[in-house]
Amino acid sequence: MSAGMSMELSFDKKAHLLERLAFVRQYAAWVKRTPDAEWSRQQAALIDSFIENARNMPLSKENYLRIVDRRKRAEQHD
Amino acid sequence: MMPENMEIDTPGRMINFSEKQITLLDRFVLDFIQVLEQQTPYVIVSGYVAILFGRSRGTEDVDILVPRLEKARFAALHDALLSEGYEFLNAEDTGGLYEMLTGKMGIRVAKKGQFIPNIELKFFKDDIDQSVFQSRVDVVLPDAHVYISPIEVQIAYKVWLGSPKDIEDALFLFEIFRQHLNQELLKKQMTAFHVSGDEYGIIL
Repeated sequence: MSAGMSMELSFDKKAHLLERLAFVRQYAAWVKRTPDAEWSRQQAALIDSFIENARNMPLSKENYLRIVDRRKRAEQHD
Repeated sequence: MMPENMEIDTPGRMINFSEKQITLLDRFVLDFIQVLEQQTPYVIVSGYVAILFGRSRGTEDVDILVPRLEKARFAALHDALLSEGYEFLNAEDTGGLYEMLTGKMGIRVAKKGQFIPNIELKFFKDDIDQSVFQSRVDVVLPDAHVYISPIEVQIAYKVWLGSPKDIEDALFLFEIFRQHLNQELLKKQMTAFHVSGDEYGIIL
């Protein structure tokens, strides 16, 4: 990878993070002004579907642990 | 949620959250804690803390710290979990799991036949874990309660972890609890972790 391309990628990464952080700020403001029962109902729909999908994942626990281990090692090297 | 709806007592050690809808993830955590608490006190740390307060993301695992248990006490916890329908994902027997814990590694527990969500259980590994436990915050939910790490520690810890997901968690907690944070404690934690949140808008 050229130095120019690497700089461009790191700029994209930074811009993407800032964009995400702006979203997080807006979302937190919405959570704060919305009754607990309402935001948590919407959050539950998202989290529950994530859990339901994960439960149907055709993975053995050995493979799952291998993936987790690999991911942790990759994060340490980032 | 806050500051309008949520009640926080003055030292910030209890958060009353009685209108929250319980998710499948919350239910998994609450059921696990019911078994865990019979053998040991605990504190929940990391990503689940942000999710509990509304962060819109899923997670595979929930990190729970417990004081170092005697081997017999751990064996009792192990047996209680198995009899309640949990399994340990690590391919170890009781002795092996205990060795992992004393070797500062986490062990993973899930409902039998499912590996997501799972609990990553660890013994305290240093003074930071110990102090997180000592100042744990009681969160009162509709039909139960959980103990979590102080929010200030979580913010600093997440900034220190430094992945985009962790920075987002830190900022989310900062924004949600902004008016209630102990600024001195947050500053102290940021210094302890040798981090600054300035570039992400986590400004003290």
